[in-house]
Amino acid sequence: MSGHDSKYFSTTKKGEIPELKEELNSQHRDKRKDAVKKVIAAMTVGKDVSSLFTDVVNCMQTENLELKKLVYLYLINYAKSQPDLAILAVNTFVKDSQDPNPLIRALAVRTMGCIRVDKITEYLCDPLQRCLKDDDPYVRKTAAVCVAKLYDINAELVEDRGFLESLKDLISDNNPMVVANAVAALAEIQEHSSRPIFEITSHTLSKLLTALNECTEWGQVFILDALSRCKAADAREAENIVERITPRLQHANCAVVLSAVKMILLQMELISSTDVVRNLCKKMAPPLVTLLSAEPEIQYVALRNINLIVQKRPTILAHEIKVFFCKYNDPIYVKMEKLEIMIKLASDRNIDQVLLEFKEYATEVDVDFVRRAVRAIGRCAIKLDRAAERCISVLLELIKIKVNYVVQEAIIKPLVCTLKALLMIYYDLPRYESIIATLCESLDTLDEPEAKASMIWIIGEYAERIDNADELLESFLESFPEEPPQVQLQLLTATVKLFLKKPTEGPQQMIQVVLNNATVETDNPDLRDRAYIYWRLLSTDPEAAKDVVLAEKPVISDDSNQLDPSLLDELLANIATLSSVYHKPPDAFVTRAKTASQRTEDDDYPDGNEKGYSANVGDGGASPSTSSSSVPYTAARQPSPAQVMPAPASPVPDLLGDLIGLDNNAIVPADQPAMPSGPPLPILLPASTGQGLQISAQLARQDGQIFYSLMFENNSQITLDGFMIQFNKNSFGLAAAGPLQVPPLAPGAAARTLLPMVLFQNMSPGPPSSLLQVAVKNNQQPVWYFNDKILLHVFFSEDGRMERTSFLEVRSLFHIALVYCGTELSKPYIMKDHTAERSSSMSIWSVMFVTWRSLPDSNEVLKEFPGIMVGSAETTMDRLAASNVFFIAKRKHANQDVLYFSAKIPRGIPLLIELTTVIGNPGLKCATKTPNPELAPLFFEAIETLLKI
Amino acid sequence: MISQFFVLSQRGDNIVFRDYLYKARLKRLVIVTTDRGEVAKGSAEIFFRKVKFWKEDGQEEAPPVFVGITLLKNNVDGVNYFHVKVVGLLFVATTRVNVSPSLVLELLQRIARVIKDYLGVLSEDSLRKNFVLVYELLDEVIDFGYMQTTSTEVLKSYIFNEPIVVDAARLQPLGPAAIFMQGTKRMPGTAITKSVVANEPGGRKREEIFVDIIEKISVTFSSSGYILTSEIDGTIQMKSYLTGNPEIRLALNEDLSIGRGGESANDCRSSYGSGAVILDDCNFHESVRLDSFDMDRTLALVPPDGEFPVMNYRMTQEFKPPFHINCLIEEAGHLKAEVILKVRAEFPSNITANTVVLEMPLPKYTTRASFELEPGVTGQRTDFKGANKKLEWDLEKFVGGVEHTLRAKLTFSQELHANIIKEAGPVSMTFTIPMYNVSRLQVKYLQIAKKSSSYNPYRWVRYVTQANSYVARI
Repeated sequence: MSGHDSKYFSTTKKGEIPELKEELNSQHRDKRKDAVKKVIAAMTVGKDVSSLFTDVVNCMQTENLELKKLVYLYLINYAKSQPDLAILAVNTFVKDSQDPNPLIRALAVRTMGCIRVDKITEYLCDPLQRCLKDDDPYVRKTAAVCVAKLYDINAELVEDRGFLESLKDLISDNNPMVVANAVAALAEIQEHSSRPIFEITSHTLSKLLTALNECTEWGQVFILDALSRCKAADAREAENIVERITPRLQHANCAVVLSAVKMILLQMELISSTDVVRNLCKKMAPPLVTLLSAEPEIQYVALRNINLIVQKRPTILAHEIKVFFCKYNDPIYVKMEKLEIMIKLASDRNIDQVLLEFKEYATEVDVDFVRRAVRAIGRCAIKLDRAAERCISVLLELIKIKVNYVVQEAIIKPLVCTLKALLMIYYDLPRYESIIATLCESLDTLDEPEAKASMIWIIGEYAERIDNADELLESFLESFPEEPPQVQLQLLTATVKLFLKKPTEGPQQMIQVVLNNATVETDNPDLRDRAYIYWRLLSTDPEAAKDVVLAEKPVISDDSNQLDPSLLDELLANIATLSSVYHKPPDAFVTRAKTASQRTEDDDYPDGNEKGYSANVGDGGASPSTSSSSVPYTAARQPSPAQVMPAPASPVPDLLGDLIGLDNNAIVPADQPAMPSGPPLPILLPASTGQGLQISAQLARQDGQIFYSLMFENNSQITLDGFMIQFNKNSFGLAAAGPLQVPPLAPGAAARTLLPMVLFQNMSPGPPSSLLQVAVKNNQQPVWYFNDKILLHVFFSEDGRMERTSFLEVRSLFHIALVYCGTELSKPYIMKDHTAERSSSMSIWSVMFVTWRSLPDSNEVLKEFPGIMVGSAETTMDRLAASNVFFIAKRKHANQDVLYFSAKIPRGIPLLIELTTVIGNPGLKCATKTPNPELAPLFFEAIETLLKI
Repeated sequence: MISQFFVLSQRGDNIVFRDYLYKARLKRLVIVTTDRGEVAKGSAEIFFRKVKFWKEDGQEEAPPVFVGITLLKNNVDGVNYFHVKVVGLLFVATTRVNVSPSLVLELLQRIARVIKDYLGVLSEDSLRKNFVLVYELLDEVIDFGYMQTTSTEVLKSYIFNEPIVVDAARLQPLGPAAIFMQGTKRMPGTAITKSVVANEPGGRKREEIFVDIIEKISVTFSSSGYILTSEIDGTIQMKSYLTGNPEIRLALNEDLSIGRGGESANDCRSSYGSGAVILDDCNFHESVRLDSFDMDRTLALVPPDGEFPVMNYRMTQEFKPPFHINCLIEEAGHLKAEVILKVRAEFPSNITANTVVLEMPLPKYTTRASFELEPGVTGQRTDFKGANKKLEWDLEKFVGGVEHTLRAKLTFSQELHANIIKEAGPVSMTFTIPMYNVSRLQVKYLQIAKKSSSYNPYRWVRYVTQANSYVARI
């Protein structure tokens, strides 16, 4: 062929389209080919050449493969906009699918699958059926992928025509390419279906392991990824699998290596023999390191994965820290990841080497990198107690170099913050006393708020040891009104500490100034509240103030950005996927197609969640998963409990109209019998309104699961069958988790059933409402609608007991509680995700007290129940405990008894409850505090139900 | 799997765009609301803006994998973008599912390689001239977002368009073997930019095979000249133009051993000098059979068409660094300092390194630098980059065993702080040394299964050592 394709882009003077049309209809084949190329050139640059559809399709009937391919390319692009014309091409497609040349057969099937026109898909079925059984493996492998394409267009068709079975047969194909594509297609289909379609049995397992050795590198990844969804039955099988997979570690393709590593890590969980595990770790190390010789893009992915692997199995690369030293020419994104891993691998054995490297990085040109390197030194100090002084002295050395202002600022802040964190952890002031003295000398260079706040914390905490603590603090006080809030808060607390430790005249005056500034002169509610609390404490009971403010600090362990263990396990199961690069569970960024069909696009991304999607992969999106079982991922998706309920919007609209009959998948068929038994249920649909059908129902909780307990009574003259149920959008997103199982009801018969329910499916906006609108349908009658009331206590979860630790896991509360005690966590180092425990000096009571007081008063809601009488505290506790409302503490106040309880509703929203009553006398005052006070009315309804005799 | 594949030019123009999306996967067009109303924007454009104006996490370079975020009334379009840069072109793939990122990134690299195999040269120009061929290739490489094959050999039987070869002379070549094109000592040049499939003008293809042993070395010297880290990333790269796919046997050093055995890198230091070549780890191309590798260190393979790595290896065994760098910096009076940079080539004198460049960051307030080279030297160039305060020293040729010195007098705009050494350096160096490899890994022989007694194709076995990160701290 002569000339350049680019000539097809040149335009002619007269109308382009008519000219092309003429050429397309030329007698000469070469001219036609050239014309089609021109058309495609126009198409790729975005010109509309759809009007030439018929003419191009006419060129399709040719033996010339090159021309045929071009026409096919055109068809894929325009068939959608010209569905009627596309039908013209169908005959040729069908004919081509029977062509003696396997390339043409495959081409026809491949192209037809890409044409997303309904009319065409019907014609596709027969050729596809044939091609799946073709003699030529190239045709079969193309057909396998085509099944996935068809499934995407018309899933029912694929299931009806038995293509899934044909696809499963291809797993046993003798050609590994075909096996790989069949596996890929099945995995893709599984991704979009909620039914189990692709299950790996021990038979398929061995088939796949055999195919693995022979197929292309890409096929190996498909198979390994599919296999990683299955777990071996026992340790022996796991060892077997691992043995077959280990040779893949030697592959030149990084994707194969990583997928093999993932598979081995998964199976390792089952292997109990430490020898085998150690041996495997040894085998995995060199290939993992070799990934770092690949292109920087691959290195980045490898490093993100290695970061997870070393958190779980630090021994694998414990001796390889040198390979993570930054190269001069590494891209910045690689350098940053290497730093993280160096910190993770740093140990007492190699810390000197590591510090030498960090020190070198800290003098580099890139300021961001310098900053990270300096912070890394600080993190090592916190991580390795024994090396802390060496780390600190490296930081001091760096300050002394005084390179320039930017670097100075970049070093001071991590230094001060590290110091503070170290003091909070180890309480070993003498070790750092000299440094503090140095720092106090250069207080004026502290501009950065966080550094300043940290320094002030140190001064306050060690006020009795720092001779001129009062002078130092006083120097800060002058600029109090101009300081940023975090510095103000810290100043306030430090001054109170100073006063409590040195109750002399100077500090007393200071405290007056500070309290005045922080209450009268400020608009910041946090500051004001804290100041008032101190004020009250100091004025009523200074001893109590000491107990609270100067209480022992919580024990904080550093884990240098360790991920939450449960999140880590999930991410490890997702090694070699995007998840492991973002360090977020897949649900946080992948829209599942199967759920997407029932929700609108907007529902997939709750408000305020954009942050979670940012590529800010560094912090791993790891909020501690406070919930145990019911909502494993929501914790990570929802930044804080406060955002769980949708913001108030328009009142609940009437959505019942479109409930029934539109969405077949959502309606649950009722066909299985259940026997009537159990306590009576409230009647919601009386027989009089239901044309003889009576429905009684109530929400109930059993074994940690929410059920809708239903009773159907048929008082009509006909047999009723085909029961289905549907719930309208409601505040809690309650929906059926499975099919409604009600047998056909003969006249006079009754049936009782427990329908498992799930939460957070279809949440209605607006303030929480207890309204639950239900629609029930059967084959004989019109649709019945009735209303039920959601009782909040069915949501109270079994893990609502606030043990001391879990109590503190309620993070926002915990944080405020600490603040209240005069401690504040240093953000970059400690705020991450700690499960901290208060020291024993703090009784559970004071925790309760602090927590209670820490929630803003606006979150406290009070209601009196004059009709309720508490006979004895014990029975009340028992009764409430049966509904997962747990007793925390009790105290006497005058003649009244005050009982404290806790409960938790899904998504980890805590409820703190205070009941005040005179035992044996009617009248009960109930106060509740929760981050979601709008739930209070529902809560009171629940309490009333629970306590009414 | 992947939803889209596209290639963008440096300016962000779409050169190639292929869409594998379909309904559940990705909406190709995302509506972006602007002040002027609704504008449809392609994901390619969104991607390009993201990459170009990347500023997240304190980094100014986009990582190769990220989530695209388009704010549209709080709506997030969770498209995941993968990209690699190849000779200035951006190869991009998008997806909405939780795929294996290394898989996609490998694929992007491979696509670039396949296209290069076909077109001879990978450039914006060659892509545009061959767009039909490129689309044809893409259709065979990816079906419905799933990788089918990236083997040039396999693809040959399905591809019908012929490449239009662009003039390679002016274009920057691609791939590790491209280094043979640099400098004065040009290797049998046309081979590197020769298309695997296109016929020679004469009609007959020349029977030849190239085996390149390419070693990229990373060395970090401490300020006292002691080696802190050293590493060799090596590849045996092969490009075959042999007809009839004969079997090839490649014999390596017999004393080659794999795996350090010991736990830490320090353990094998003692082995230096014993002559044995110890690889930390290696991997092989899928076409390589290792039946007799354990016995006599021979690799057997039927080379597929196209360029491919036969073997990748990694070494931390100690080796003799090819260059020794000595840097002295001292104050020379008020607002002045002098830098003395000495480099000695530690390899035999019959070998010459080329394109040697030394760089060294100077203190921030350096305003002027005047250079003094050895008297009478040619082919050397010095420069002071005022913008980023860098000293640059280019040496066209560097003969083995020779030492070169550069003196630079610096002038500062302000008083020096305590330690000038901490504000300058480190010295980094790039170079290429043809016909030399530091690992002593060798191809002892290259045997081609003979079809007839007269069959004697050209065999090129070439060695080259290149700097990856070659840094001397001061």
